[in-house]
Amino acid sequence: MRVVIAEDSVLLREGIVRILEDAGIEVAGQAGDAEDLLRKVRAHKPDVAITDIRMPPSHTDEGLRAAHEIRGELPEVGVLVLSQYVEQGYALDLLADNAAGVGYLLKDRVGDVDAFIDAVRRVSEGGSALDPEVVSQLLGRKRRDDPLDELTPREREVLGLMAEGRSNQAIAAALIVTERAVEKHVTSIFSKLDLVNTPEDHRRVLAVLAYLRE
Amino acid sequence: MSGLRRALVAIGAAGLAAGAATSLVVAHSDHTDARGAFIAVSLLLGWSFIGTGLFAWDRRPENGTGALMVMVGFAWFLQPLGSVNAPLAFAIAVIFANTFYAALIQLLLAFPAGRLATRRDRRLVAAAYFTAVVLQVPQLFFLETPNEDYCDNCPENLLAVMDSVPTAQALSALQALPALALFAVVGVTVIRRWRAARGAQRAALAPVVWAGVVMLAMAAVQLVAGLAAQQGVAQIFFFAVLTAMAAVPYGFLVGLLRSRISRAAALSGLVTRLADPVESDREIRDALAEALGDPQLGLTYWLPDDERWVDGSGAPVPDPTRLGHVATTMVRHEGATVAALVHDKRLEEQPELLETVSAAAALALENQRLDAALRARVEELRTSRARIVEASYAARRRLERDLHDGAQQRLVALALDLRLARTKFDADPAAAAELLDASIAELAQATDELRELARGIHPAVLTDRGLGAALDALATRAPLPVELGSVPEERLPEPVETAAYFVVAEALTNVAKYAEATHAEVSVERANGTLRVEVRDDGVGGADPAAGTGLRGLADRLAALDGRLEVSSPDGSGTVVRAEVPCA
Repeated sequence: MRVVIAEDSVLLREGIVRILEDAGIEVAGQAGDAEDLLRKVRAHKPDVAITDIRMPPSHTDEGLRAAHEIRGELPEVGVLVLSQYVEQGYALDLLADNAAGVGYLLKDRVGDVDAFIDAVRRVSEGGSALDPEVVSQLLGRKRRDDPLDELTPREREVLGLMAEGRSNQAIAAALIVTERAVEKHVTSIFSKLDLVNTPEDHRRVLAVLAYLRE
Repeated sequence: MSGLRRALVAIGAAGLAAGAATSLVVAHSDHTDARGAFIAVSLLLGWSFIGTGLFAWDRRPENGTGALMVMVGFAWFLQPLGSVNAPLAFAIAVIFANTFYAALIQLLLAFPAGRLATRRDRRLVAAAYFTAVVLQVPQLFFLETPNEDYCDNCPENLLAVMDSVPTAQALSALQALPALALFAVVGVTVIRRWRAARGAQRAALAPVVWAGVVMLAMAAVQLVAGLAAQQGVAQIFFFAVLTAMAAVPYGFLVGLLRSRISRAAALSGLVTRLADPVESDREIRDALAEALGDPQLGLTYWLPDDERWVDGSGAPVPDPTRLGHVATTMVRHEGATVAALVHDKRLEEQPELLETVSAAAALALENQRLDAALRARVEELRTSRARIVEASYAARRRLERDLHDGAQQRLVALALDLRLARTKFDADPAAAAELLDASIAELAQATDELRELARGIHPAVLTDRGLGAALDALATRAPLPVELGSVPEERLPEPVETAAYFVVAEALTNVAKYAEATHAEVSVERANGTLRVEVRDDGVGGADPAAGTGLRGLADRLAALDGRLEVSSPDGSGTVVRAEVPCA
């Protein structure tokens, strides 16, 4: 697997590169700003482009805009966006119409090496990775006559993991249950929330996010 | 001819007829001495009052003085009716003979407004009528013929039950003594009134007061002489009093005209002074005080935007209409209230003066009002600027404390753990690994805290993605359901976005803390160059914007942008926080 990484903090960038290389992932290019990133992505056509949101020159959302550009231009390149802070708005916009090969993680997550590498792999394989913090915000949002109240605690856990972009298999592993049991929970959740189930994980993420965003 | 004119002419005709009739009665009287002189004085007196009264009535129809003077004239004609020969008519005429004095006292106390302004005045007048008419009756029960000792040919007294001159004299004294007391009280009252008056009012009062006081004094002497059985003296004084009285209505007339002339003079003085464009509030007040003859005159200006009263320097003052001891007259300019004249209650007796003066000063006062509004604004800015500075210091202190107590402590602990792990690295790898795990957890905590702290200082999402996204994030984090209405999609000037964001943030924090609400609604709309932000909840209400520093700080932030904050929070029916910021 080959990645290009953009992060203006050299310290952090080298840390991430080390983690990735330790996990056997090839870092094809390193960039310090969004323009550099675009140039290197176009040149290397990596499996995943990992980018910070805030970068020079304006330190606002250059990385995010570059991510959108990559998605439009090179759909086969997965995009994993790292953010200093969690804002569901960024995540939801990024995943808005196609969650395949898209990830949005809090920057701190790189410290949790296994989860981070797992997210990179998911994105490279066309799956999605949404930060648990975003998911918990979305799930935690107070609603009037909240249909989420009808879910059992276990179903809420499953819904959260689905929203993060995990497959049934991964959910089963995380909750230490059988895949069969996960499937049953998923069916129950979709019927309680009145959603149409879909076998593809990244479409499932969209449906769940669209629902949670309401 | 107007309706009023016709009525006045009719009253004049009635006055002439009344004079003629009484003259006939006196001329044919068989018990009146000096009938010719009496007729002459009587007509002079009655017709003077009625004539001058009608003139005053015609000139100043809104003022009751003219009508009162006419009434006094007619009351006078009851007196010569005592010359009638028929016993029944004579008895009635004697009862009402002194009504005239009471009417005169009423006129004196009512001048110059033409109505009795105070309860004390009304009581005095009631006492005067009681003394003149009711106390006149008892003595008549004890006289076969009234005034027996000098009236030889008076008709028989129909009211007499027994003849007892000493009793009658005692009862007569019982009428005379309160009458004297009344004369004294009324005299002192009008003199005091004159002394308290200033300028135009004083000039108007002077002739009336002096004519009135001289008349009262002479009437008193006549009464005392009557009591002392000096009928000769009393008789002489009777004529002297009557002649003096005939001068009284002219005094009233002069007074009335003077108050009008001096008003014109005051007005022209005022207009001249106000023509100078660089009038200060102080100069205008002085000019008005002089024109109105009230040195204590106060001026307050109305700020319709803030719905409050301020003085000339822009400092807030209490609502002048709620001050008990003074009266207020509103000054309007082009239909809108501009200012209030806070003046002596006695000036209410001259509504025309107040009206003309306030009309003349309206434009100058409107200019002063704008000035005062500006000053009030400057003062407000000064205090809010001070509060903003103070609030920013307070925020820095809080930030320092949060950093010191939070992230810094964690980092220090982390450094210790890592150092310890380093020393145990070789000897006890298991313990070192444990310490490293703890360090990682500690680090995660520290980064979480720093992130939250950074958000509190300024939400990056607001800068990056605008108000809609930032408010959406707020709504998501809120511990209660928040419905977010549509938010303008375009980016707004940064200060406007920031202010709007913090209004919603603070309001939602308050809702969560105090309102006990089940849900809240946030709406943001941009129209006519203004951004309106509204946060509404269904909680217990009763929020006091003055109580907390949060809302006060918000109001200051908004004021700095020329915006404003409004909190409506009636007990039991939720709270609405509304903010408006100019946003072209």
